[in-house]
Amino acid sequence: MAALADRRRINGPSGGTSAPIFARIVKEPGYLQSLRPSRTRGPNELRKIFLQTGIVPSASGSAYLEIPSELPSKTTLIPSSSSLKLSCSIQGPKPLPRSAPFSPSLLLTTTVKFAPFATRTRRGYIRDSVERDLGVHLETALRGVIIAERWPKSGVEVVVTVIEGDEDGWWGDDFSAKRGSGGGSGSGWGLLNVLAGCITVASAAIADAGIDCVDLVSGGVAAIVRNPRSRGDDVVKILDPNPSEHQDVVAACAVGYLAGRDEITELWMKGDVGPDPDQLVDGATHAAVGSLSVLREVILEAVEAKFKGPATEGDSLKRKSPSQDVEMGG
Amino acid sequence: MATTTTTSQPALSFPRPIFAALSPHPFLQAHLTSTPKQPLRANGRTAHEFRSLGVNTGSLTHCNGSAVIRMGNTAVVCGVRAEILSSETGGQEISGQEDEKEDEGDEDDDTGEIESLKLLVPNIELATGSSPQHLPGQAPSAFAQTLVTRLRSLLLSSRIVRLEDLRILYTPPSNPDESHSDEEQRREVKGHWTLYIDTMFLSLDGNAFDAAWLAILAALRDTLLPHAFWDEELETILCSDDPADAHKLRLRGLPVPSTYAVFEGKSEDEEDGGVDWVLSDPDAFEESVCRETVCVVVDRSEGGMEGRLRRIEKCGGGVVDRGVMKTLVERSTQRSGVWEKVLSGS
Repeated sequence: MAALADRRRINGPSGGTSAPIFARIVKEPGYLQSLRPSRTRGPNELRKIFLQTGIVPSASGSAYLEIPSELPSKTTLIPSSSSLKLSCSIQGPKPLPRSAPFSPSLLLTTTVKFAPFATRTRRGYIRDSVERDLGVHLETALRGVIIAERWPKSGVEVVVTVIEGDEDGWWGDDFSAKRGSGGGSGSGWGLLNVLAGCITVASAAIADAGIDCVDLVSGGVAAIVRNPRSRGDDVVKILDPNPSEHQDVVAACAVGYLAGRDEITELWMKGDVGPDPDQLVDGATHAAVGSLSVLREVILEAVEAKFKGPATEGDSLKRKSPSQDVEMGG
Repeated sequence: MATTTTTSQPALSFPRPIFAALSPHPFLQAHLTSTPKQPLRANGRTAHEFRSLGVNTGSLTHCNGSAVIRMGNTAVVCGVRAEILSSETGGQEISGQEDEKEDEGDEDDDTGEIESLKLLVPNIELATGSSPQHLPGQAPSAFAQTLVTRLRSLLLSSRIVRLEDLRILYTPPSNPDESHSDEEQRREVKGHWTLYIDTMFLSLDGNAFDAAWLAILAALRDTLLPHAFWDEELETILCSDDPADAHKLRLRGLPVPSTYAVFEGKSEDEEDGGVDWVLSDPDAFEESVCRETVCVVVDRSEGGMEGRLRRIEKCGGGVVDRGVMKTLVERSTQRSGVWEKVLSGS
């Protein structure tokens, strides 16, 4: 409940509040299951990615990534599944404060923060362990990519805000688990998707900031899921899983992948992988290559706009105001 | 610092960003005085010009109402999330009888109850890399705390949300044996909706207050509360997931804030003959060189075209006197028309 009142923020009612419970779910047994989403894509098909750079003018580099979900239903207020919306901004590179010890290379600080409205249950403002963990994973993914030796005595902040995050599983399973039929997920499958998205969006923002990198890193996820219709150990490997669409995820893996060098900077695997983990890693790298193609296109477009745009824009500006450089009197 | 220029260039001139960083005050003054007929600011706007607004609502899945707004280079996303505070756990026993004649609820003063029950919980987050001054991993800065306090106070003092909309009522079935003809409609308050209003700054380029308020206002207008009712069988509050049963918030009025920064020009020969400019909707650079700020909140939805003054805040400096304040109120009234259009268009 309300953790010790945070005196720097505005707190809700002291007794805490509860999320609304919908009547039809409680009263009609079959209704909950009818809301369950299912995967309509092929096993190797990725979701569409929307990516844009340069959305935060006050930062040195920024990017926004969205993996949209299907349109909200008109017949119910309960959202069936979440989409992924990430915003990343880069502050720096800038000189370290004088008090900081000498560093021969660029110090990378990564922060991942969920917005309070990012998930089905409301989140707090103070970073929790999950967010710190994601931040560390993101740092590992990026550290090997940036050529840090070129910026001695400086630091850069990579801040990713999760405006909306993928869910760990279908909320209905969680809901029925809470009501006493055992089980419960809490597995964090959704975090892998969030991490992969963070890697891709941070990579775009780093490119936007013009920080030297060895290659473009991109994130990808693959999972092994149990086929719900068949019995036994009938498992399928899928790329870019949406955990809420699968009842039983056996294992999943997220990678940060440098396609040009065929290197993996970050690998996060969960679950029971079985005898052949390479297959899962391969799947994740395939997914990463998929998001790389979007990433590459977006960055190329942004660079083209940057170098073509100002030339024409500058001309029109010059015509309007003759003095671009203001002369300093005295 | 490489300030030397080649000898062939007699005038000492800098590229714009360096001039702005080295001496911000003369930079802005040079801009404002360079064309006396139509003084332009460094960002290309005239002194009275506000930035254009963009509003997009309903994009967040897990919110009852949400909005993403853009005001020049300031971008804010706001989500309103409704949760239930039931009267038993709320710590306060407020279940009482409500009269039927609460239709013209414009007059009753319900702010006290909203405030004491903490039904509106606004919060902001600046540390999203939105600007170099607000880095994550630190406690909210004094600026953030001041900002959220001002927003909360405007939310409460403008009485924009009606308590009626937040109440979850229950009408006990009347017992046919007992004849309570005089008090047929006895209703109990079983709980309240609590609105968590979370505002994240994606990008901050000045005038945080106006931007945050626009986002909050747009999100509140977008908010759809499910129909909630007391279930006698389960003895709890349940909601209907049918969008047809849900209701929007009926907001009282449309308070529109307009923020101004006063730029005090310095005359060259140290006499107090400097011209002062009152800049509408300052950006981050202008905020850094201005000491005096004024925020005027007007509401034109009632009281005709003139509108009503809801709030005036002024801090620092001594340039804005009563005469200037009058013109500022006029400028704010004009501005509120733009807000009305943007908000109703979304």
